Amino acid sequence: MREMTVEPMVLSPSVTGRLLRHPIRSLAWLFFGLALLFAVVAGIQGDVFFFRLATESLIFGGLALSVDLLLGRTGLLPLGQALFFGFGAYVSALVLKQGLPSFWLAMAVVLVSTTLVGLVAGMIAIRAKGVYFALISFGLAQVVSKVVFNTRELGASDGIIGVPVPQISFGFFTVDAASPGGFFLLVLCFSAALYAVLAYLMETPFGRQLAAVRANEHRVPFLGFDPWRYKLAAFVLAANVAGLSGAFYPMLRGFVSPELMFFQVSGNAVINVIVGGTGTLIGAFYGSAVLTVLRSVVGSFTAHHQIVIGVVFMVSVIFFPKGLIGHGVAALTRWQSRKEGA
Amino acid sequence: MNAMPDSMAAARLDAILSVSDLSVRFGALMAVNGVSFDARRGEITSVIGPNGAGKSTLFNLVSGAIRPSAGRVVFDGQELTGSPPHQMLGAGLARSFQITNLFFELSVRENLRLAAQFLEQGRGLLRPVASSRVAQQRVDELIERFRLERKQDELAGFLSHGEQRRLEIAVALAARPRMLLLDEPTQGMSHADTQETGEMIRSLAADSLSILLVEHDVDLVMSLSDHVVVMHQGQKLAEGSPQQVRSNPAVQSAYFGDAAHA
Repeated sequence: MREMTVEPMVLSPSVTGRLLRHPIRSLAWLFFGLALLFAVVAGIQGDVFFFRLATESLIFGGLALSVDLLLGRTGLLPLGQALFFGFGAYVSALVLKQGLPSFWLAMAVVLVSTTLVGLVAGMIAIRAKGVYFALISFGLAQVVSKVVFNTRELGASDGIIGVPVPQISFGFFTVDAASPGGFFLLVLCFSAALYAVLAYLMETPFGRQLAAVRANEHRVPFLGFDPWRYKLAAFVLAANVAGLSGAFYPMLRGFVSPELMFFQVSGNAVINVIVGGTGTLIGAFYGSAVLTVLRSVVGSFTAHHQIVIGVVFMVSVIFFPKGLIGHGVAALTRWQSRKEGA
Repeated sequence: MNAMPDSMAAARLDAILSVSDLSVRFGALMAVNGVSFDARRGEITSVIGPNGAGKSTLFNLVSGAIRPSAGRVVFDGQELTGSPPHQMLGAGLARSFQITNLFFELSVRENLRLAAQFLEQGRGLLRPVASSRVAQQRVDELIERFRLERKQDELAGFLSHGEQRRLEIAVALAARPRMLLLDEPTQGMSHADTQETGEMIRSLAADSLSILLVEHDVDLVMSLSDHVVVMHQGQKLAEGSPQQVRSNPAVQSAYFGDAAHA
């Protein structure tokens, strides 16, 4: 039971390679590398359909990323994250249509407004724990989506149509949101930035505190930290990420509708995270990519594609509980050790 | 020791923790009923009593885990009655848990780093953890002191019971508290480990840390403590030096009488 002798550590971290030390980061590079490869191929082909589909997958991947911040990193299951996604989409549509058709203005307004809405919603939802948090986040999204659905000024059930396509200026060059390839690359850069910011934050004391809250919330206050503040900060950050991702939606589709806030969107985001690998962050994008393609392909054969998604989800939870990334990391580790053994 | 008038405050200048008339009611049950005592700076004060005497509840009241219905908790001149636990720790009052309460899915090092992060006083919250030098240094000290070198990269959940108990105390100490509340630190330990833990507690007190100890091992308490508070049915039955308490007839009948097997 007691270890009185002190021996040097057998395995020093330097023995294991870079890849092994950061397998998830390697898989993140792989994802964005594959996305660039796709862009090159699709660009040469002059494709439109798959560019649009891939852009949509990134946008919903951003929503899933915000879910993973809460579910995988903080231990909070949000069943109404579409609230912030839809909110960002509506704010973006309104700024572009009623205000200036400026991309940067839309993003700035979305960032500020999701911070405020996230604070208010967070203060309501964070009070509750476990399943009650899940239900309150669900309820908040239901209430807001019904209000939007019945507000004539917001287009009621039709939503807002005819949102102008912005020209996105970077000073020395401009991206046209109507260009499938250009807009895909823009959304890809933003998605990578959102991922990078969260991945960085997770390795700071702030992010590690979230992991502590997830692992054992009851001990955290006895270490001198108020878990409530950390959960609220994570909730607001997740609202920002979801809202900024949603802000791209009207730029891609030219419209927004109340369905963006419905439970199906929130539920799909949770499924994307779990299929991709909870707590890995990059898994949100993998899950979203796989399931968006699956929905589109299956949807072209049958209107009942949700049945297929449901079955995929169940099979994934039962046979691949760590998700694509969890099993990808295990495979990468095996490959690495085989290479070192040889 | 009943509540004293202010004129007598000087008499307890060396009290780091003053608990007065502390009570909490759970429904019809007065789990702790009007308990007062002082714990002196740099001393080991112990709370003993039979099962259900209210020791753990008293502990939870003092550490902020539950709010008292009445009474006061003053720590080092600061009124802390009913403060949440994170403010208690901020004031310099840390606690360990009877049932090991660690971050089992995190490494030993990370458990300690989380606890030592308090020393950074909110600095570097958004910089990589490796740049929190003060915290990292504290972690190294604790790993050495509690002989966890070989286990530092293992998950806390994979440690042996004895190692987890050591880590539990190391985590409580990480923020350099001025007073440590130890809740049954030898819970489930072998005789040898209990002796060793006793030595460790003695060495902590020798480093001028004030200690409030709840412990069921009466022999350990008697050999360690400077001052003993005896609880019975939610109330304070007696207090004094280990000798005074041991020879107190009320204590003998209420406690040593029915705990003769211990």
